[in-house]
Amino acid sequence: MADHHVIIENLVKTYPGAQKPSVDHVSFSLPRGEMLALLGPSGCGKTTILRMIAGLIVPSSGAIRLDGRDVSSIPVYKRNMGMVFQAYALFPHMTVAENISFGLEMRKVGRAEREERVRKALDLVKLAGFGERKVSQLSGGQQQRAAIARSLVIEPELLLLDEPLSNLDAKLRDEMRDEIRDIQARTGVTAIFVTHDQDEALSMADRLAVMSAGRLEQIGTPREIFDRPQTDFVASFIGAGTFFEGKVAGPGVAAVDGLPPLRFVGEAAVGSPVRLMVRPHRLLLAGEDGQPNSFTGTVEHIVYRGQILTLSVRCGSRLLQADLPTHAGVLPQKGDQVTLTVAPEDVTLIGREAA
Amino acid sequence: MSAAVTAPAGGAPAASRGILLMLLLPGLVALVITFLLPLLWLFRASFASSAVGALSGGDWTSEAYTTVLFDPFYWRVAWNTLVLGFNVAIFAVILSYPIALFLARTQSRFRGVLTALAVAPLLTSSVVRTYGWMVILGDRGVINSTLQALSLTDGVIRLTNNSFGATVALIEILMPYAILAMLSGFGRLNVQLEEAAAMLGANRLKVFTRIVLPLSLPGVLTAALLVFVLAISSFVTPRLMGGGRVFVLGTEVFNEATVTLNWPLAAALSVMLLVLFSSIILLYQRALRALEV
Ligand SMILES: Nc1ncnc2c1ncn2[C@@H]1O[C@H](COP(=O)(O)OP(=O)(O)OP(=O)(O)O)[C@@H](O)[C@H]1O
Ligand SMILES: [Mg+2]
Repeated sequence: MADHHVIIENLVKTYPGAQKPSVDHVSFSLPRGEMLALLGPSGCGKTTILRMIAGLIVPSSGAIRLDGRDVSSIPVYKRNMGMVFQAYALFPHMTVAENISFGLEMRKVGRAEREERVRKALDLVKLAGFGERKVSQLSGGQQQRAAIARSLVIEPELLLLDEPLSNLDAKLRDEMRDEIRDIQARTGVTAIFVTHDQDEALSMADRLAVMSAGRLEQIGTPREIFDRPQTDFVASFIGAGTFFEGKVAGPGVAAVDGLPPLRFVGEAAVGSPVRLMVRPHRLLLAGEDGQPNSFTGTVEHIVYRGQILTLSVRCGSRLLQADLPTHAGVLPQKGDQVTLTVAPEDVTLIGREAA
Repeated sequence: MSAAVTAPAGGAPAASRGILLMLLLPGLVALVITFLLPLLWLFRASFASSAVGALSGGDWTSEAYTTVLFDPFYWRVAWNTLVLGFNVAIFAVILSYPIALFLARTQSRFRGVLTALAVAPLLTSSVVRTYGWMVILGDRGVINSTLQALSLTDGVIRLTNNSFGATVALIEILMPYAILAMLSGFGRLNVQLEEAAAMLGANRLKVFTRIVLPLSLPGVLTAALLVFVLAISSFVTPRLMGGGRVFVLGTEVFNEATVTLNWPLAAALSVMLLVLFSSIILLYQRALRALEV
C-alpha cells in the first residue's frame, strides 16, 4: 500500500451550499501501471474524485499522494497528469498536431523533438496522417484518439479518463475499449477511468472501485466484484441475479422461505440471517427434482437474446432468473414446468469473503 | 457565421415551397418598401441637380459626386469619420472585452441580472446620454469645475466641442452593443477547454493567450464591426458633443439635407457612407473566415 504509485486518503468533497458531501471519505490506491475503473451510478461522485486528483477542484479534506508526495499544493498546470474529458475538449482553433503539441510547447520542448513526439503519438493512436486536419474534420472516434494522444504525449504521471467512451456508438466503443487498454498497457501509464458502464469497467480495468452516493462500496478485481460482491449495492449494481433472504440452518445450509434449503459455500454462524445471490448464468436446467439446490417452477417469461435465453421461472412466491445457452438441446417454452439447479459454490454469500 | 442557408436535401416539395415563399413574403414586402425603395431613391437623388430635381426625377447629373470627390473638405470629412469610427471601435472593444468575458464565464446566479445591467444603458436614448456626457465634460461641467475648485487648473480644459468629447461619449454609448455582440460571438469559449489547457501545463496567462483570446476573436471582431458601423453613421452625438465643430459624414449629411437643402449632395454623401460600410463588411467577412476555418 504505502509504496503504491497513487494513494487517495479519506478524500471528502462537499460542494458549497450542499448538505451532504458528494465524495465521502474515499480511500484507495493504485500500484504503478495499474488501470483502475471508478464505477457507479450517475451522481455518485466519480467525476468529482477525478477532478480533485487533477487539481481542478480543491478537496474539502483528505490527501492525494503521488509516489508518497502530497500534491495538494501543486497547481493544476504543474501536476503533469493527462486528462481525457468526456467531450474530449480538443482545441477547435488548432489542428490535430497543434493540439497534441500544445502540452509539449508548454514544457518548452524544442521544435524538432516536438514534431518527433507528436508523430509518435499520432502513430500510437493510429492517427498517422491526420495531424494537419482541423479537429472538426475528425469523426468521434478519431477525436477521442486525438484526445488520448494529447494527454499521453506529455508522458503524464497519471492518466485520468472521464467516461471517454460514452459519446461513441456501440461498435466503436468496443473497438476503443481494446485500443485504450492496449495503449495503456504499452505505455505502462497508471490510469484511472470513470464509467457508469459495468461491461466497460469489467473488461478494461485491472481493478474496479464501485461507488454509491459518494462512498466507496468495494474495490477489487473484476472477478472479485462480480463473483464476491460484499454489499447489496455492489451485488445488484453489477450484473443481474436472484436474491434470497434466509437464516443459516446449519453449516453451509440456509433456510429460505418457500423454497427447499439452499446450500452454499461459506462461513456463517448458525441462526444468523444471510443474503444470498445466484447469477442467472449459474442456474442450470436439471433432469429431475431431488438434487440439492434444485427448484421446480413454471416458465413465466422468455427473452431470446441470440446466444442465451433468459427465463423467468416462478417458484412459489419467487421469480428466478436464469440464462440458458441456446445450443443446449430442447429449450423450454412459456408455461413449461422446469427444474433448475445451482452448485453450492455458485451461491454467493453477500457481504463475506469467499471461503 | 460562415454557414449559408442551404436548401433541404432533395428540395422541398412544391406545396411546402409555396408555403415557405408565402411566409417570406411579408418580410420581403416590408424590406422592399422600407429599405430597397428608399435606397434606390437615394441613389437616384444623388444624381439630381437640386432638391426639386430629386423629387421630380427630371434630370441626371453627376455634379454632387464631382463636389464630393474633388472638394478636399469632403475628403477631410470622410477621414474624420474613419478616425472617429476606428477610435471608438478600438476603445469600446477594449473596455467591453473584460466585461463580456466575465459575463460569458461567470457561474454566478446573478449572471442574468449582471448582463441586463451591462446593457441597461440601452434603455435610455442616446440623446439623453449625450447630454449626460456634456454635463460631465462641458466647460463648466463636473470635471472642469472640480479641477478648478481644487485649483489644479487655471483655465478651462476643452473636453467638449471637439472630437475628443464625441469619441468619449460614443465609446460609452456604444459599449452595450459591443458587449452584446461579444456575448453572442463567444460561443466557442468553454471552461473545459481552459481546464484541458491547464492540465497540459498552461498557466493562467498561457490559457488566456493561447485559448481564450483566439476563441473569442470572432466575437471581438463582430463587436468591433458593429461599433464601427454605428459610430461612422452616428449623427446626434458628434453633433451635440462636437458643438458644430466636428465634421463627420453623419453631421454633413444632416447639414446638407436640412440646412443647405442640397439634397443631391446629402444623397451623394450617404452613398459614400454606404460604400464605406460595404467595404468594411467585406473586410470583416474575410477576417472572420480566416479565423474560423
Ligand atoms: N459544481 C458543483 N456544484 C455543486 N454540486 C455539484 C457540482 N458538481 C457536482 N455536484 C454534485 O455532486 C454529486 C456528484 O457529482 P459527480 O459529477 O461527481 O457525479 P458522477 O458520478 O460523475 O455522475 P455522472 O455519472 O452523471 O457523471 C452530484 O450529486 C452533483 O449534483
Ligand atoms: Mg461524471
